[in-house]
Amino acid sequence: MNKTETDNYLEVKNLSKIFGRRKVLSDINFFLGKGEFVTVFGPNGVGKTTLIKILSTILNPTKGDFCLEGVSAKRDPVFIRQNIGVLSHNPYLYPDLTAYENLRFFSHLFSVEKVDERIDYLLELVGLSERRFDLVRTFSRGMQQRIAIARALLHEPALIFLDEPHSGLDPLAVEVLDETIGGLRKSGTTFIMTTHSLEKGLVLADRALILSAKGVVFNEPTKDVKVGDFKDIYLKQVSG
Amino acid sequence: MKTFKQLYALIEKDIIAQLRTKDMLSAMFIFILLAFVILNFGFFEVLEVIKQNPKVVGSVGGLLWVALIFAAVLGLNRTFVLEKDEGVMDGLLLAPFDRSLIYWGKFISNIIFLLIIQVLSLPVFILFFITQSFASQAWLLIITIILGDLGIVAVGTLLSAISVNTRARDLMLPILFFPVIIPLLIGVVKLSSFVFAPQSNLVTIRVWLQFLGVYDIIFLIMPFLVFDFVVED
Repeated sequence: MNKTETDNYLEVKNLSKIFGRRKVLSDINFFLGKGEFVTVFGPNGVGKTTLIKILSTILNPTKGDFCLEGVSAKRDPVFIRQNIGVLSHNPYLYPDLTAYENLRFFSHLFSVEKVDERIDYLLELVGLSERRFDLVRTFSRGMQQRIAIARALLHEPALIFLDEPHSGLDPLAVEVLDETIGGLRKSGTTFIMTTHSLEKGLVLADRALILSAKGVVFNEPTKDVKVGDFKDIYLKQVSG
Repeated sequence: MKTFKQLYALIEKDIIAQLRTKDMLSAMFIFILLAFVILNFGFFEVLEVIKQNPKVVGSVGGLLWVALIFAAVLGLNRTFVLEKDEGVMDGLLLAPFDRSLIYWGKFISNIIFLLIIQVLSLPVFILFFITQSFASQAWLLIITIILGDLGIVAVGTLLSAISVNTRARDLMLPILFFPVIIPLLIGVVKLSSFVFAPQSNLVTIRVWLQFLGVYDIIFLIMPFLVFDFVVED
């Protein structure tokens, strides 16, 4: 396959992470094209969340590096942070601030222009405009996650990491999330998602990665893969 | 300008959250009041003797710092608790700025909270323990409090970021904090004794002020160097 310029939008090179004596990630290599949606599958404890935390510069790798648009994370982590958004199972919100105060706070951290307009648009998008002045503490898990979607999109990131974003969500929040993802994909946003749901992960993704203790053991486009077949592939790869 | 806006947002968020819950401020203020009441009534006779003796009257300054330092630890212990318990720290680490800005946001918020507590508690201290006017030495008390606060909060905020990631975090901060803060405490107690004593030695005062200044500078530079490592798991 010929590589195009956009193939190397994100390039992950020999990424390893060791916590104490435990090697969590071992020589992870892959690249990602602009506008692509990649789902990372893998059993519990294999390092999916650690991978997301490293790629979002929350954690430093023990070895290796990655580049976004050719810019090394080691050299310029602030550039990486300016261009990424993270939606995790944890909403990263202050419970004693209102939804509006939380979004305004993160807008200022990300130097968002026209803050109020952006917040109005995103609250409308996630369907929580009427609860904007309520404390986040009073929100259900699903509503907090919808505010978290707005938080992650405040600075219009070009690359979004979704770390098990559907976990614990009510059907309405799942619908809001999937619709938002769909809209952003049309506008060319790139995604990396981790999930345990093989079906959901395959439906959304252009490419599937399977992570095991050995590293990336599967990295293929999803268009010709059926869910049933993929389940067999997955089980074979993670048990082997 | 961008950095100042980000710093302002970090401070504003802490102040809004604190004014809403008042958990840190009320705990600190109640502790100081209790400490003053216990010290006043527990040592009533001793204090009467001290107040009459010009040679030792300055030692009441020590009582002020006993209450202030324990109240400060109470507040400092909660510096990063919300970020840790609610998992917001990762959200802050995603922001596109030098991570020491998170420290400076907390540092300035803590200074503001400590100053509020001191403004509220100083009149109570004066009411309980001071019988003679110290107006001519008030400048020294103000400088001592400012230098003391800078050191206490600089050390406490940094150590709080470390201790919050440990299992026994409530215990860990005092264990780490007190050995490091002892030199500063000796300085502020010495200087406070000059405030409340009828006579003071300007040369000694200058030496202790310089000592506090150097201490503060050291611990205000340190976060630039180490905070990034502290916040990484």
